[in-house]
Amino acid sequence: MLQPELIQHLKCGHIISIETIPTLPVDSKSWQCRRLEQPSGDSGTEEALSPFTFAPHGIHLSQEHEIFEDGDIHRHLYLQDLSSSTADADNSPKLSVSAFGCHISGCNQVFSSVEEYEHHYNSLHRHVCCSCQRSLPSARLLDIHIQEWHDPLFTILTQKQDMFQCLVEGCELKFKTGIQRKDHLIRIHKYPPDFRTKHMKIQQPTDRTMEVSDGVCVVESACEGACNMASIHPEEGESMEVPLPPEEAICLVTGATSGPSEMNTEHPAGPPTVPHATDQQKPRYSYRVPSSVCFGKGSVRGFRGQGRKK
Amino acid sequence: MWRLNKVRHKAGRRGCSLEELKFKRRDHEKELRQARKDRQLVSKRLLLNEDDEVDSGMDIQSSDQVVELFLKVLNGGEERGDHLSTLRKALRNPSTHLILIKQENSMHVLVGLLSGSNAQCRLEAVRCLHELSHSPHPSVGPACLPATPYLLTYLSGQSAKFTELCLYTLGNLCPDSDAIVEKLLAQGLIPALANCIQIQRSSLAVVEAVGFTLSQLLQAKHAAEKISPLVLASGLVPHLLSVLTVDPQFGLSPAIECAWCLHYLICSNVDNGALLVQGALSQCSALLVTLGGAVAEGTQQEGIELLIWPLLRCVGNLLSSRPLRELEPQLRDARLLATLCTFTLVFLQTQPALARESTWVLNNITADSSRFCSALLFLNLVPSLIQMLPFSRGINTMVLRILGNVAHKGSEYCIQLVKAGLLPALCATLKMADQEMVTLSLEVLLMMLSSSPQVVVEFVKQSGQSLLEAIQYNSEGEMRLRATYLLENNLTPTDP
Repeated sequence: MLQPELIQHLKCGHIISIETIPTLPVDSKSWQCRRLEQPSGDSGTEEALSPFTFAPHGIHLSQEHEIFEDGDIHRHLYLQDLSSSTADADNSPKLSVSAFGCHISGCNQVFSSVEEYEHHYNSLHRHVCCSCQRSLPSARLLDIHIQEWHDPLFTILTQKQDMFQCLVEGCELKFKTGIQRKDHLIRIHKYPPDFRTKHMKIQQPTDRTMEVSDGVCVVESACEGACNMASIHPEEGESMEVPLPPEEAICLVTGATSGPSEMNTEHPAGPPTVPHATDQQKPRYSYRVPSSVCFGKGSVRGFRGQGRKK
Repeated sequence: MWRLNKVRHKAGRRGCSLEELKFKRRDHEKELRQARKDRQLVSKRLLLNEDDEVDSGMDIQSSDQVVELFLKVLNGGEERGDHLSTLRKALRNPSTHLILIKQENSMHVLVGLLSGSNAQCRLEAVRCLHELSHSPHPSVGPACLPATPYLLTYLSGQSAKFTELCLYTLGNLCPDSDAIVEKLLAQGLIPALANCIQIQRSSLAVVEAVGFTLSQLLQAKHAAEKISPLVLASGLVPHLLSVLTVDPQFGLSPAIECAWCLHYLICSNVDNGALLVQGALSQCSALLVTLGGAVAEGTQQEGIELLIWPLLRCVGNLLSSRPLRELEPQLRDARLLATLCTFTLVFLQTQPALARESTWVLNNITADSSRFCSALLFLNLVPSLIQMLPFSRGINTMVLRILGNVAHKGSEYCIQLVKAGLLPALCATLKMADQEMVTLSLEVLLMMLSSSPQVVVEFVKQSGQSLLEAIQYNSEGEMRLRATYLLENNLTPTDP
């Protein structure tokens, strides 16, 4: 584990004088400057306090400090003649490795490697609908979900044309009703006959998509069935969705959009929040997530990788 | 003569299996930990005599036998010395101690023999006292008080063996009660120790014993107020410092004792300036570098951590006692950095607490010094530090602090950190379940991202942005706030 360079430094047999080592120039900008004022363009400007507190400092440890415990015990075992190399090997305190943990509030998954974390996150959390915080396993399904749940035009259009897309990627068929689609999924694509999930939605969308609740549920449970999420993540079992407690759900509005951004600066101590999705006024546009919302940069598009146009 | 490797002989002696020994040790360790929590962690040392191993071990059957032996001693005669020797061997069994001291005039007799003209009797008497001083019974130690003036006198004597026994006896008596310590101080223990270490400097066994006794004294209650000032004024310190070497024949033991004494003196915070003037920092760090060389090559002696531990503490606390620029004259050797890294890596599995204390010292040396931060980069030690980031229980958080110390110095430092591979490491630590790790990672990230646009580009390439976005969903406000701040201020905003 020791890098050869490290050994070399200590084997050289002579002092490596600190004065022979070039000292890099120190930047005069201090991190305190980072406590910037907002550009004066915004109304109600306040100093955005930096939440950062790190400052290099030496640490003094008192004789009784708990950090010194193991060393003291080692010392006293030696004094009392109880130390021996063989005993030491067995009794040595075990080294402990940091675990990784999913950040999404409410998801308490812990992992022993970064790969596990990535797999988990990519599977569960990449495609979150900003309006209802539902997590969809794929971008496509997220899109369908948004369209069917949160797009007010959807209902209108269903009266004119077949709008319910088959959920299976590659199958281009569309259907007039959610029930028809469900039938199709069962008969043609061999979905389980009962894939209406018993897991309730977190909240009902406030808009009129209740009529298409069938379709909504189909999207929901079909996602589970089609993608076999249950089998991929048996430990998550119940739901591929990650229910976020409403008060924890954060949909950030960045930049200079109205309303919510001011809330950000007014409450620096608390989590930046926007009015809850259900509290939001009737949207002026579709619920398709605008680029400045939710994940800050390009939202849905961001998750689908490069190259997507707005 | 007491030495580390004697333990194995002891283990074999009474038919203790290795398993039993391990079990005993584990049990004992628990007791020690509890004692430490209760601020009552004390130890005594027993010198093994050469003939102890040959003997099958005398087992006294009854208190009558002890009394009988004592009476034989009392009665004198030519065989007095032999009887005393038998008595001394009997005292190896702790249950005999109380019996003896309850005998009328027993201490008086022993003291008489101790100060008498018969050399053999003097030696056996001091050995008896030594056994008594090691007693687990709390009333035995105080009973030995009448002997202490004589023991102290012998510290300036010529016989190294005898002096050694006196020293360990005195050292064992110290933890027994505050009253004993006060008496010993009044009787001039500290000047006696100073004198002893000077005249017996060539006998490393005696030096070790002085160190031990002094360390016992310095762990007494209120030592910081009452004892440390006396020790600092006594002229002992230069001698302690001169012992901080590795003797090729004698080994580490004297240095171990003296290093612990220094640790207690430094913690008492009485006059670290004086210690610094006398070269405590340079001496301790030089020895650490020597030990580091041995460890790096894999040629270290058994028990080396016993010496590394107190030295680390001395250096760590001295470093935090003054602004670093005042200490720089004593810190000329950049190999200290490599040494500390080496200790952390090598002892990670076997002594993780030692590894942790090593990182603590690294923090203290880099916190306030662009010189040492530059040296850390120049010696290419950052990859080694990054290797330690998976390990918890205080190690990785301290390592992040060290890296933060370096990044704090400015853009040039951050650029070097990027070259050393810090960004991918941060992308991993940001995913850890440990809140402190994530928060610290965000702190370091602030400095990195603020240093140059290239760093931002690199970070985004490694999916850092979506990582920060995920952290915005964390239930801890401290993390959310920092992640949000970075997203809003440091990461290049896309067009709205």
